[in-house]
Amino acid sequence: MSTAATRVPSVTRRLVVTELRLLLREPMTLTFVFVFPVVTMLIIGGAFGTEPDEVFPVNPSQWYVAAYLATVIGSTGLVMVPVHLAAYRERGVLRRFAAAGFPRWSFAAAQLVVGAVTCLLGIGALLLVAEPVYGVPAVEDLPRTLAGVGAGMLLFLALGTLLGSLLPSARAAQAVGLMLFVPSFLLGGGGPPPEAMSETLSSISEWTPLSLVTDSIRDPWLGLGDGTSDLLVVCVLAVVALAASARRTSL
Amino acid sequence: MTSHPAHEPAPEMAVTVRGLRKSYGDRVVVDDLDLDVPAGRVVGLIGANGAGKTTTVECLQGLRRPDAGEIRVLGLDPRRDAQALRRVVGSQLQSSALPDRLRVGEAVRLFAETGARDPDELLERFGLAGKRRTPFAGMSGGEQQRLFLVLALLNRPRLVILDELTQGLDPAARREVWASVAQLREEGTTVLLVTHELAEAEALCDHVVAMRDGRVLDAGSPAALVARHASGATTTFTGPPGAVDVLRTLPGVRRATAADGLVRVEGDRASIAHVGAWLVARAPEAGGVPADLTVDVPDLESALLSLLESPDPAPDPPTLTGVAP
Repeated sequence: MSTAATRVPSVTRRLVVTELRLLLREPMTLTFVFVFPVVTMLIIGGAFGTEPDEVFPVNPSQWYVAAYLATVIGSTGLVMVPVHLAAYRERGVLRRFAAAGFPRWSFAAAQLVVGAVTCLLGIGALLLVAEPVYGVPAVEDLPRTLAGVGAGMLLFLALGTLLGSLLPSARAAQAVGLMLFVPSFLLGGGGPPPEAMSETLSSISEWTPLSLVTDSIRDPWLGLGDGTSDLLVVCVLAVVALAASARRTSL
Repeated sequence: MTSHPAHEPAPEMAVTVRGLRKSYGDRVVVDDLDLDVPAGRVVGLIGANGAGKTTTVECLQGLRRPDAGEIRVLGLDPRRDAQALRRVVGSQLQSSALPDRLRVGEAVRLFAETGARDPDELLERFGLAGKRRTPFAGMSGGEQQRLFLVLALLNRPRLVILDELTQGLDPAARREVWASVAQLREEGTTVLLVTHELAEAEALCDHVVAMRDGRVLDAGSPAALVARHASGATTTFTGPPGAVDVLRTLPGVRRATAADGLVRVEGDRASIAHVGAWLVARAPEAGGVPADLTVDVPDLESALLSLLESPDPAPDPPTLTGVAP
C-alpha cells in the first residue's frame, strides 16, 4: 500500500474513482436510479399495447422505452446528485476535502463525471431490460439522439450540483429533489402521453425541462422530428445551469 | 507586542496574524486578533466555548474568509494561495467526516499526494493497521479521530493544525496521540493545537494563547501563564493549631490557618519547600511527617479560569508566542 515516492493520479481522478466505488455501495441510489426507471418503464410501457393509434404515432411500448432514457437522467440529476452533495456538505465531508487541499471545483467535477457514468449505466440497464420485453427501436438519427442525451445529462447534472450546493441538508435535498422529479417525471414523458392530458397540463408538460430532454431524445430516435428546437432550448438551459452551478461551487 | 533583544534574531514565524476580524451576522467571533506561531513549536489555542478558536484556525486554513486583517501561513495567503498552502498544511478539523462507506485504506489512498509518508507505518503507529477494510461509519469515534490524524500527517506537512485532537479518545489512545504530537515537535513540524483539554495543552505545548470573546487574553509558555495568573500553592496537613504562628513566618507564606486539626498554608510555589523543610525538621518530635500531607500546585486550568474571570483583557496582550516569557 506504500505510496511514498510514487506518482499519484490527480485529485479529480482519485475523487472520481473513489466516488464510483462508493456509488456501488449505495443501495438506495442504485435502487432509485437503476431499478425505478426500469420497473416503471415495464409497467407503463405495457399499459398501452404495442399498436400505434391517434395518441401514439409509434408503438407505445417503444415510445416509452425512448422516453425513459430521460427518466434515468432526471432521477440522477434531481435526486441522486443533490442528496449526495447536500449530505456531504451537511456532515462536513466537503470541509474535510477542502482542508486537505482538494480544489472546491474538483468535487463538483467529480460529481458531473460520476453522474454521467451513472446515467450511462442506468440507460444501459434500461435498454438491456427493454430489448427482450418490448424491443429497442432502431435509432433514426443517431447524432441528434446522442446530442439529446448529452445535453440532457449536462442540464440535469448541473441542476443537481446546483441544488446540492444550495440546500442545507440531505433531507431537504431529498424533499426538494423528489418534489421536482415526480411532477417532471409524470408530465415529462414517464407518465401519460400529452394527448391524454388536459389542455393546461399538456401545455405545462411541453415546457418542463424533462419534457424538453425527452423530446430531444425521442423525436430524432423514433423519426418523429429532428428535435432541434427542443435540443437548442436544452442546450441553453444546460449552459445557464452549468454557469450557475460553477459559480456556486467556485468552478 | 513583545520585542526581541537586539542581539537575538527574531524566530521564524510559521503563522502571523494581524488584526483578524470575523463576524457571523451581528456576532463578532474574532475581534482584532493578533497571533504569532513560531516555526517548529507546538502552540495551543485555549479558551472557553465560543472564544473564537475554531473560527481563527478556519481562517488560517482558508476555509473561512476573514472580514478584516492580514494572515500569513508559511508565508502564504490562505485565500489567495489556498492550493499551495494546503499541500504543506495538515489539518484535523473539529467537525468533519468522511463518506460513510469509504474504507480506511481507500481514504489513505484518496488523500495521499506524491511523496506522502508510508501509510502502513502511519496506520500502524495509530493502531489502525487492522482496520484497512473497515468503512468510516463502522469505526468508533476514537478510531475516526486517529484516522483524521493519519490523514493530517500523511503528506509530510510543515504545519499541522489539530482542532480538538483527542475528543472522544480513551485515556490510552490519548496518550498515544500525545506521544505522536511530541514526535512531530522533535521532527521540527509546527503544530497549532486547539483544545479544551488544558492538561493536553500543558503536556504538549511550548506556548499557549488564551482567548476570550475572539481576543487574545494572554500568551506564553504554560508555566509562564500559571506563574502570571495562578501562582499560589496550598499545603495542608494534620498538625497543632499553634504551628500556624511559625508557619506564617516562613518565606513565601501568605496565609496559614488551622481548623478541626487541619493546618492550611497558602503561599507562592517557594513556600512548599519551606513548609516541607519545617515539617521534616519537626518530624522527630512529631513522630514523623504527617501522612495526610497534600500540596495543591496551580495548573494551567487554574490560570485559565483566573484569566477568564478577569474583568477585561489586557490592553496590549503579548502575542509573540515564541518569545513571551
